[in-house]
Amino acid sequence: MAATPLPLEVINLKKRFGDNEVLKGLSLKAHKGDVISMIGASGSGKSTFLRCMNLLEQPNEGELIVHGESIDFKQTRRGREPANWRQVERIRAKLSMVFQSFNLWAHMTLLENVVEAPIHVLGKPKKEALEHGRALLDRVGLLERADYYPTQMSGGQQQRGAIARALAMEPEVMLFDEPTSALDPELVGDVLKVMRDLAEEGRTMIVVTHEMSFARDVSNQVIYLHQGVIEEAGAPAEVLENPQSDRLRQFLAPKF
Amino acid sequence: MIDLQGYGPRLLEGALVTIELALLSLLVSVILGLLTASAKMSRSWLAHRIATLYTTLIRGVPDLVLMMLFFFGGQIGINMATDWLYYQFDVDIFINIDEFVAGVATIGLIFGAYMGETFRGAFMAVDNGQIEAARAYGMSESLMFRRVRFPQMMRHALPGLSNNWMVLLKTTALVSVIGLTDMVRVAEEAAKATHEPFTFLIPVAVVYLVIASLSEWFFARLQKRYDVGFGGEECNN
Repeated sequence: MAATPLPLEVINLKKRFGDNEVLKGLSLKAHKGDVISMIGASGSGKSTFLRCMNLLEQPNEGELIVHGESIDFKQTRRGREPANWRQVERIRAKLSMVFQSFNLWAHMTLLENVVEAPIHVLGKPKKEALEHGRALLDRVGLLERADYYPTQMSGGQQQRGAIARALAMEPEVMLFDEPTSALDPELVGDVLKVMRDLAEEGRTMIVVTHEMSFARDVSNQVIYLHQGVIEEAGAPAEVLENPQSDRLRQFLAPKF
Repeated sequence: MIDLQGYGPRLLEGALVTIELALLSLLVSVILGLLTASAKMSRSWLAHRIATLYTTLIRGVPDLVLMMLFFFGGQIGINMATDWLYYQFDVDIFINIDEFVAGVATIGLIFGAYMGETFRGAFMAVDNGQIEAARAYGMSESLMFRRVRFPQMMRHALPGLSNNWMVLLKTTALVSVIGLTDMVRVAEEAAKATHEPFTFLIPVAVVYLVIASLSEWFFARLQKRYDVGFGGEECNN
């Protein structure tokens, strides 16, 4: 075994909504520096899988191990729940999420958004957090927007700001939930470029996406989900260029 | 100038009672309202039931009836309890309900029910994505409440809150029935004694109006403060 623990490991995760099992035993290993793209039709469960990783949804079965720490669960009347919410909060702080609809806090300026969790969750000194926050905004090309409110920015700017907020946590793994799906086509490129830079500097990323070019060119692993099952997984060249199942072939076929 | 015929200082005292009563009742009702709203939104069946019973009861019975019930009924209840203590355990205590405390408690209790509905609607108006982002970044429920849910809820709550406050302010005039000497009671006494109702009732009306106008100005400022970041200034990329 490797000496350093994996940033994230998921073992046999299952999720039901009522009687409907939407995730049927999914496993995943993210090594340091991995960029994993999750693709699949809508309803395949890819977003739900991602949201189970930081417990925005509660998995009914399965194990989650973040940097060697396994999350404890207990059975309650309402079903399975985390045994210790302090642990969940600590682990969530290591898994920054970037949302489809950005979800920057609307009552805070961009810079305030970026330093909020570092100061109040991680307990970073304010001055240090502000310095780091400005540097990150500079990186995503938004330093001059530091004092703007989210509603005063375009979708692309908001999403790049949300990525800066995610980076400010210095996370083990970054989770991206369809980060470009809510953007106008001409704004997608800027966001993808920032994500590509992050991949190149060795960030561990799990990305739910419809951008096949990103999956092919940037990620080192592609997972194809179909009806709550991992149908195919592997290097992008194998999965995307040489699909084994009819379903994936159909999914990848050009659409008009 | 109007000749207040020596009632000036007492009217002023009465006005202070009115203001203190209103502000303290507001505090009580806001706290009760927040508790009621959280109870109604909680997953606990019991908390939900108790909160619903409370708001239904309070909103369905006239304020004046409630006030007399709490004050006179409350005193009888306390007397019964202290009697029982005396006969059972030979403990001899006597508790007299203070009119001011009773007034604050009653008005606070009444408006807590209205505030509860105001806050509940306001909490539900907050975009769920904002809450999820707070959770995803490791915030505890209490930190999330302070940093995200409360500040975003306030802009939805303020119009209702300010309305409730205006009604609450005028409801304080009812406390004279339980023997509390507020501004209205002094004016009423003076009007009867001097047979000059306008001399006393008009200044009282003016005092209410001044408080109401100051409140409107204050709430407009608060609204501006909590609206920051929500539209107004358009996207200019």
